[in-house]
Amino acid sequence: MLRDMFKKTYTLIDTKYRSQTGREPNVPEGLWRKCRKCSQPILGEDVKNNYYICPKCKAYFRVHAMRRIEITADAGSFEEWNRKMEFSNPLDFPGYEEKVWAAREKTRLNEAIVTGSCLIEGEKAAVGVCDARFLMSSMGHVVGEKITRMVERATKERLPVIIFACSGGARMQEGCVSLMQMAKTSGALKRHHEAGLLFVSVLTDPTTGGVTASFAMLGDMILAEPGALIGFAGPRVIQQTIGQKLPEGFQRAEFLLEHGFVDRIVPREEMKETLGRILKVHRQETAEGVGYPADPMKNSAKKVREAGDLRENGAGTDMDGIGGAVEKVSLDVENPEKTAWEHVLLSRRADRPTAKDYIDEIFDEFMEFHGDRYYGDDGAIIGGIALFHGKPVTVIGQQKGKTTKENISRNFGMPSPEGYRKALRLMKQAERFGRPVICFVDTPGAFCGIEAEERGQGEAIARSLFEMSDLTVPVLSVVIGEGGSGGALAMAVANEVWMLENAVYSVLSPEGFASILWKDSKRADEAAGVMKVTAGDLLNLGIIEEVIPEREPACGENLGEIALEMDQRMGRFLRDYGARTGEELRTQRYERFRGI
Amino acid sequence: MFTKILVANRGEIAVRIIRACREMGIKTVAVYSEADRDSLHTLLADEAVCIGPAPSGESYLNMERIISATVAMKAEAIHPGFGFLSENARFAQLCEKCNITFIGPSAELIHKMGNKSEARKTMMEAGVPVVPGSKEPVRTVEEARAMADQIGYPVMIKASSGGGGKGMRISWGPEDFDGNFQNAQMESVKGFSDDTMYLERYIEKPRHIEFQIMADKHGHVVHLGERDCSIQRRHQKVLEESPSIAISQELRKKMGETAVRAAKAVKYENAGTIEFLLDKNKNFYFMEMNTRIQVEHPVTEMVTGMDLIQEQIRVAAGETLSVTQDQVRIQGHAIECRINAENPEKHFMPCPGLITNVHTPGGNGVRVDSHIYSDYRVPPNYDSMLLKLIVHGKDRKSAIAKMRSALGELVIEGIETNLDFQYEILNHEAFQDGDTDTHFIPTYFPEYGK
Repeated sequence: MLRDMFKKTYTLIDTKYRSQTGREPNVPEGLWRKCRKCSQPILGEDVKNNYYICPKCKAYFRVHAMRRIEITADAGSFEEWNRKMEFSNPLDFPGYEEKVWAAREKTRLNEAIVTGSCLIEGEKAAVGVCDARFLMSSMGHVVGEKITRMVERATKERLPVIIFACSGGARMQEGCVSLMQMAKTSGALKRHHEAGLLFVSVLTDPTTGGVTASFAMLGDMILAEPGALIGFAGPRVIQQTIGQKLPEGFQRAEFLLEHGFVDRIVPREEMKETLGRILKVHRQETAEGVGYPADPMKNSAKKVREAGDLRENGAGTDMDGIGGAVEKVSLDVENPEKTAWEHVLLSRRADRPTAKDYIDEIFDEFMEFHGDRYYGDDGAIIGGIALFHGKPVTVIGQQKGKTTKENISRNFGMPSPEGYRKALRLMKQAERFGRPVICFVDTPGAFCGIEAEERGQGEAIARSLFEMSDLTVPVLSVVIGEGGSGGALAMAVANEVWMLENAVYSVLSPEGFASILWKDSKRADEAAGVMKVTAGDLLNLGIIEEVIPEREPACGENLGEIALEMDQRMGRFLRDYGARTGEELRTQRYERFRGI
Repeated sequence: MFTKILVANRGEIAVRIIRACREMGIKTVAVYSEADRDSLHTLLADEAVCIGPAPSGESYLNMERIISATVAMKAEAIHPGFGFLSENARFAQLCEKCNITFIGPSAELIHKMGNKSEARKTMMEAGVPVVPGSKEPVRTVEEARAMADQIGYPVMIKASSGGGGKGMRISWGPEDFDGNFQNAQMESVKGFSDDTMYLERYIEKPRHIEFQIMADKHGHVVHLGERDCSIQRRHQKVLEESPSIAISQELRKKMGETAVRAAKAVKYENAGTIEFLLDKNKNFYFMEMNTRIQVEHPVTEMVTGMDLIQEQIRVAAGETLSVTQDQVRIQGHAIECRINAENPEKHFMPCPGLITNVHTPGGNGVRVDSHIYSDYRVPPNYDSMLLKLIVHGKDRKSAIAKMRSALGELVIEGIETNLDFQYEILNHEAFQDGDTDTHFIPTYFPEYGK
C-alpha cells in the first residue's frame, strides 16, 4: 500500500496568488440554500429557474404570490385589482396590527392574497394567488373581501376565475368575522357559477381549514400540485383527536385524487399550459359555436394516411360516400357466417381496442379529469375534455385494461358507483358549458360487489338514466365492445346509440341468461342466439341507429381505419344535433326511449 | 502563480495534473469519492478531501461539494481535467462567482462551443469550413433533390428525430436519391412520426484529425500541430498519433492557421482542441471544439516538447504563452495506446477488479501515464481507462516498433484488458502502411467493431 509513502510537494512559490478580483475564494452569501426536504445545498438560481422545485429531490417549495403570477401569466399581462385595502381589526385583537405590519414589511404585500387579471397562454382570466408568507395566508376580512370583489368583477366582465389556494384557514385574530368570509366567498362564486362562468381552483401546499371548506373546493375543475397537503382539519389535530397515527400520504394531493376530490394533479412546470388549455376549451364563443367542419379528413396527417385504403373501398369524404359505406355494412351484418356467440367472443377479445384507444385516435388533446367529489376515482371509467376537429367535447369511456395489472386498476371495465357519479358529474359540466357528450360503452356490467352495493350501485345507475334523459347538449354513445346491461345503459341514454359490428349489447350476459332460464350456464352460445345481442339484431329492433363496420375484427392494426369511419360519422352527428336547441335535444332523446 | 490547486478529477488525469503541479512547486488538493480512498491521486496529492459516495453524481459531479472543498482548503484554482465537470459551463460560472480560477476557458465559451449548432454557426462566420448541409429541414423529395444538387454527392440523408441508423441513408448520386430519400422519410414517419429530414455531404472514409490550440489571456494563440485519432471503436478513440501521416507540412500550416483563426474569432482562452474530418481529397471540415485538455494530449507533448498541463496552469494565472508559433517544432512521431479494463472478447465489457500485479515498460522515449499499481482495486463506478502508454520515436516506423516492444513488456494481472487488441492493431499491415480512417476497426476487425 502506498499510503503516506510519497513526499509532499517541494514548494517554490511563496507569493500569494491574487485573483483578478483581488478577493479570496469564498462562497458568496445566499448563493446556496439548503433544501428543507433533502437537506442538500442547492443554488438559488437553479430553484428559481426550475419553478421553485428542488433540482435534487424534486420537492416543491412554496411560491410567493408574485413569483406564481410570473410563472403562470403571460409576460406583462398581469393587472392587479384592489391592491391597497384598509387594515381592519374587528375584535381589536391585541398585537394583531403589529403582526400584519410585520407581514407587510416582510412580503411587501398588502395582504395574504394578490388578485387581478392576466392572460394565460393568451386567454384572459381573473386570478387570485395566496401567499403563505403572510400570516400563513389565513383568511380574514381583507382576504375574503378581495376574493369576493375579484369574483364579482369577473362575473360582471364575464371572465373565468382561477384561484391558487394556500392557507392555514380562517384568521383567528378576526374571530367570527373571518368565519363569515367562507360564506361570503362561496356566495360570490355561486353567482359566478350561475352566470355560466368557469372557476378553476388550484390547490397548493398547504390548503386547509376554512379555505378548503369554502372557495378552494368549489372549482368546476380542481387541480392540485403534487404532494400538496390538502384537508379540512390539520393532520396534527386529527392525530391528537383520534389518538392514532395517520397513514403515509394522508391528506396529500394524491390521496385526494384517489378519494375523488381532485380532478387532476398537475406538475408545476405544466400548470400554465394546463390552465391555458382549460381556458381555451371554455372560451365563451367556442362553447356556443356548433359548426363542425364539413370535411373531417383535413385534420391530421395520421388519419389521412390511414384513410388511403378505406377510400379505395368506396368510402369517401363526402356524405354520399358515407351513405354508401353504411349500406355496405348492413349487408355485412347479415352475413350468416358469424353466429351471435362468435360476436360475443369477439367483443370480449383481449386485443380489442379500448375506449382510450379510440379517444386517442379520434380526438386531440384529451385532458382527463378524475373523481366523483364524494368517495373516489373509478379506474373503470375515464372521462375528460378533448378536441374533435378543434371543437371541445366531453368524452367518457368505460375502460378495460390490456394487461392483468392494468385490468386490476380498471376493475376489468366494471364500473363502481363512483365511476357513474364521475361520468354524470362530467356530463353535467359539459351541459353547463354547452359541450356535446360522447360516450364509449365497453363493460361486462356494473361492478357486482359488497362495496358497490354499500355505496348505492343501483342509485348511481338510476341517477344517470334520470339525469342523462334531460341533458340539453347532444349525447352520442358508441358500444365498442361489451354492452353489459344496466352498467352499459347508464352511459347510453343518448340521442343516438351506435355499435361496432362485433360489439354486443344485452340485458344480461349470455352465461347469466342461460343459467337463469335454463339453469345451465354452458348453454351460453345458444342463449346468445335467442337473446338478439348483436349489432345487426339491435339495428333491426330499432334499439340502435348505426352499425360501424369492422372489415376485420377490431384490433390494433385496423384501429385507425375504424376510428376514421367513426370520426366521419361523428362529424355528421355533431353537425346535425349541434344545430338543435337544448329543448329539441332532450325531447328527441325522451321520444327515442319513449317509443321503445 | 497559484500556491494551491484543487484537482477536480480522478484516475490517470488527476495524477497527471498533480505531477505537473509538483514540478511547478504548487501544492495540490485531491478530491475523492468513497470508492477512491486508495486511488493514486488521493495518495499522491498534498491534501485530500472526501467529497461523497462512489456514484459520480454525488461526488465528482457534485459542484457544491467541490466548491466547498476548494474554499475550505484555501485553494485558488480548480483544474477540472477531462470528463466530469470539465465542460460544464455552470460549474465554470460558479467558480467565477466564488473567486476561484477555473483552469479552462470562460463559462460563456464552454456554453457556446457545447451547443452544436451555435458552434457550427460561429465557425462558419470565422471562415472555417463545415460539412456542407441543409440549414433548414426539408420535407418533399423535390426540395431535397434540389438541395442535394447544391450540396454535392454523396449525400447523407438524416431524419431530424432519427437515431441508431434509423431514418438514415446514403445517396451516391441523383439516380438513387429519390428512392433513398423516400425510404428514409418513411422510416422516420413510422418510427418517430416525424417527416422532417436533413441533408449533409457524406464524407467517405474520413480521418479524424484534431488540432491542439493553446491561448493566453493576452490574445496570443498558437496551434501545436495535429493528432490523428482515426482508430476508433464506436466513436471511442483507441489509439492516437501525432503527426498524422495524411498531412503534409503545407496542409498542416493551412489547417493550423484555420484553427488559430477560429480560436481568435471566439477570443478563446486556455487549452482547446478543434476536431476536423479530413476526406480522401484532403478537404477538411470542422466537427466540434473541445474546451478542455484531452486524453490524448501526451502525443502532442512528446512531439513538441511542451507540458500542456503546466502551460494551462500558467495561462490561467495570467502569464503569456511560453512559445510563439515560430518556436513550435514538431519533432519525431508519437503514438498513444489507451489500455482499458475491458474484455474485447465480450463486446468490450468493462472488467473492474483487483490488479494483482503490474509491470510497466520504460526506457528512452517510453512514457506511462497511469494511476494503477499492484494491489489496486479498479472500482466499477467510473470509466475503464487504466493506463496510457505513449512512445516517441524519430519517425512513424520507429515509433510503431517502440510501441510494439513497450506493449510487449506491459503486464497487468488480475483483470482483463484490451492490451492484446492494441497489439493486433499495431501489427496490422494497414495500420503500418498508414491506411487508416475512422472505419479502420469495423473494416479490419469486424468481430470487434460491433
